[in-house]
Order: sequence, then structure tokens, then C-alpha cells
Amino acid sequence: MTIPAPLDEVLGELPLVAARLTAPRRVRVDARPENLPALLELLKGRLGFFHLSAISCVDWLEEGQFELVYHVWSDKLKLLLSAHVRIPREPGEYVSIYDLHEPAGFFERDIHEMFGVVFDGALSLDRFILTSWDGPPPMRKDFDARKYAEETFSTVNYHPDWLKDIEAAGGGLEE
Amino acid sequence: MSDLKQIPAIPDPDAIEPSDVYDLYFGPNHPGIEGNYSIRVRLSGDRIIEAVADGGYLHRGFEKIMEERLWMQNIALVPRICVPDPVPMEETYARSVEMIGGLTPPERAQWIRVLMLETSRICAHLFTFGGNAATVGLYTNMFWGVTMRDLFLDIFEEITGARIYHIYITPGGVRRDLPDGVLDRLEALLDELERRMPQFEDLFFNNAVVINRASGTGSMSAEQALAWGATGPNLRACGVASDIRRDDPYLVYPQLDFDIVTEEGGDALARMMVRKGEVVQSVRILRQVIPRLRELKGPVRCPLPNPLAWDLPAGEAYARTESSKGELAFYTVSSGGPRPYRVHVRGASSMHAVQVLEHLLTGARIEDVAQIMFSLDACPPEVDR
Repeated sequence: MTIPAPLDEVLGELPLVAARLTAPRRVRVDARPENLPALLELLKGRLGFFHLSAISCVDWLEEGQFELVYHVWSDKLKLLLSAHVRIPREPGEYVSIYDLHEPAGFFERDIHEMFGVVFDGALSLDRFILTSWDGPPPMRKDFDARKYAEETFSTVNYHPDWLKDIEAAGGGLEE
Repeated sequence: MSDLKQIPAIPDPDAIEPSDVYDLYFGPNHPGIEGNYSIRVRLSGDRIIEAVADGGYLHRGFEKIMEERLWMQNIALVPRICVPDPVPMEETYARSVEMIGGLTPPERAQWIRVLMLETSRICAHLFTFGGNAATVGLYTNMFWGVTMRDLFLDIFEEITGARIYHIYITPGGVRRDLPDGVLDRLEALLDELERRMPQFEDLFFNNAVVINRASGTGSMSAEQALAWGATGPNLRACGVASDIRRDDPYLVYPQLDFDIVTEEGGDALARMMVRKGEVVQSVRILRQVIPRLRELKGPVRCPLPNPLAWDLPAGEAYARTESSKGELAFYTVSSGGPRPYRVHVRGASSMHAVQVLEHLLTGARIEDVAQIMFSLDACPPEVDR
């Protein structure tokens, strides 16, 4: 498996970290944060990577980084390219690509809501799913969902009075 | 940013200036809304001048929970992400795990998965026929669509033991082989569906109410659909022959003969016409799958270690599927261990129920809101996850 020549040529125009085929029709590119918008523009303009399939975020807590993965599909090359960039977890800021790919509006808003990453120039960073949430971005690795649930919600030992009456009369739930 | 995104305080009636502009909260409890979802619309008369999608009513934190569960345990979670079309969720997650683990399901398992996927597509489209018909006041069609779907759920129940949440497609294959005789019963059901399709045609597609209400309603051009991120039947209704089964094939789809159904117009009618055509194509695919499964013998799972002590190597995978709603994808990351480090679910409705819907509603009339949403076949739980 080798990277198609037209893609190799475009990738060669930017100082990228690495590019490799990971599976049939899957290319992984590790880019520097400052190069990603230019890379996506080149891919869209020259090689038909019109479709932004998704933007994913991974929280690498120990490394103190967020990894943003831009999945773009080219109908011309029949190839899905996943461009990876890593940004510092603090302050967790990056640029929006909404001007280039309109679907980014949803994904950037989602990542902001769930991880707290701020995208400069985003369509909207308003709450969408967690409208009344006042805690930290919950998809961050340092947010302990189990601990939060145990502290926030009480558990109920189901043993109502009417059941006690039945038990006193010799009946009750079967174990 | 519009103040329509904020829930306003109840105003003092005496302080309201006379205006023909008013805001309406469409959902989350409304017979014309699909699932638990809400759209806030600003109207001038009965014309929408701004629409804002409002999700979150079905957020269950699947992606977070999946990071706490074993690779195999997540199979019980994923079908719940989209109730009307659960099989692609199981299959896409399982395939992403297989890509990381370097597993290839046995050939028989791959054919069974296609059988499940296409049957699920038929179910989802029948469900949508019903919902869409109801938005223009045609309830008979709804009952017929749901009834027909129920007969297919019987087949699912026979194969998997469950009607909706099958938990059947597992990394490495499927949970068990097909029961004796189920292929005969599925074949008979396909005959019955084909017998009923002309009746659906007469009741829905040749119906003056449907044609008048759906023609030109919620229409978008191919350029708009591509720019807004529309996929699946909604994109094909704009004349774009895009289908992941053909463009980025998986399982045994390259061995199957089927057409990519397209329509021109990009309106609510075209979207439903595409789905009708896809039911026909799914039947055509199943008619190829059934004889193949009759002759093909072999295992339905590849050997796996104890699922309670199964570590996957570090890696990542992006698996894509053509679901009944459009492009479904799972981005799964392993840091090397017994559970995923990260799972990101990309549902087609993330586009269709938010940005595409907001675009199409702007300029539409209030009575077309439900029809536009149903014609997009948006699935709110897929957005909320």
C-alpha cells in the first residue's frame, strides 16, 4: 500500500510530521497546528477532499494535550484522510475551519461543549446538548463521571411501608 | 448571535410592542417533532424567518460510558444510539474494533451482517414512510408502514432474540448462526413486502395530498447539500450518486449487485422517492444474500480470547457505514488495553437535524416544519449520543 502520487505531491508542499496509509483507503497525516488549515484548503482545492466527515477530539491527559482529528473524504481519490494535530491542553485554543467546511460548525461546538476547546472564528460555541450543565467539560479525562454521580444522586433502598406490612404478615419479596 | 438561542424570561404583557414577529417552541413534546427534540422558530405570520435546532433531550453520555466498558461490553450500548436503525451502530463499532485488532470476520459472518444491515434499512425506511405520511395527515400509511416493519422485527427476534437492541454483531463476527428455516421465512416476507409495495405506492406516492404538500418543500440543490454536509438518501435526492457501500466498500458489498437510487429536485418528495427506491434495492440485495447463505458454510466468529481479559493493541480506526440515515462513522482509539480510550460517534443526523434543518426551515411555512424534519429522516438520539 502506498500513498497516491497526487496526494504525496500535495503533502510534500507543507512541512508535515508524517503521512502513512493505515488501512485500505485510510491515510493518517500528522500535521503541525499552524499548517492544518492550509493543508485542508489544499486538499479541498486540488484533490477533491470536499466532505468533512467529522472532527474528533481525544484528551491525552498525561501528555497535557488535546488531539484534534479532521476526517475528510475525497470522492476523486476514494480516500479518507485523517489529519491529526495536537494542541496544548491549557489553554486549549485552536482556529475554526468553518469558513472552509461548513459542517465544522457542529463538530467544533460539540468539542467545545464536551472538552472545553475554544475555536477562534467558530459559527457558535453556545451550549447545545448540555444546556443547564454547570460542571467542567465532561468528556475530559479528569472528569470522573462515576464520582460525580455518586456525589450528586442519592440511591434508594426500596422498602416501602406497604411491603413491611406484607412481610409482617409472613409474605414478601422472594429472594 | 441570535437571542433565539436563549430561553427568555416571561415578558410583561403590557410591555410587549405590537409586532407580527413571534417565537414558537416546536418540541420537545410535540406530535410533529421527531423524537425528543426541539426547534425554536421565529415567525412572521406563518413564515419562518429564523430557526434554531435545540438538542440534548436524549443525551445519555454514551461516548463517556464506553470509555469505562470492556471492548465487548460496548456492544450492549451502541444499538441504543439510534433506535430506528440500530444494526449499523453495532456493525460499525464492531468493525472499528476489528480494524484496530487486525481481525477479519469469517465470510459467513460478513454475509449475515449484510443480511442484518439491509433488513434494518428496510425497517427504518418503512418506519419513515409512516412518520412522513403522518406529517401530512395520512395515518393509514403510518399504520401500514409500522405493521410491515413489525413483521421484519419478528425475523430479528428469531435471529437474535431481540426486536430492536439485538446485541448480535460482535467484534470478530456475529453472536450465533442463523436458526433453521429463517431464510425461508425472510424470503416469504420479502415476497409479501413486494406484494404490498404497489399499495404503498398508491396510498402515498400517487396521492395528490402528498404530491402537493411535498413537491418543492424543503428543497436544496446538490451544491447546498454537499456544502451543508448532507449524506445518504438526503444527498442522493439532489441527484448525487454517493453511497459508502460503493465508494468506500466494506463487508461483501463489492460482490453484490445493486443500484444507487437518485432523484432530482432535492425536496421532501424526492427524499421519500429515494427511500422507496432503496427498499426495492435492499430487497434485491437480500435476494442475493439468501441463496449465498444457504450454500456457504463455516464459522460465524473468528477465535477471540476471553472477552473479559481481552487487550487490544494501541491504535485507531475510522469505520464508515451507509446507514438508512446517511453516513455513520465510529472513530475508535485504543491506548492498548481492555477498553477504548476514546470512541467518537458521527451520526448522519448530526448534520441533518441541525445545520441542514435550520437552513431548510428558514423561509418555510410553519405547517411544513414536521414534514421537512421527517423527510430528512433525522434521528435525534444520534445527535445527542
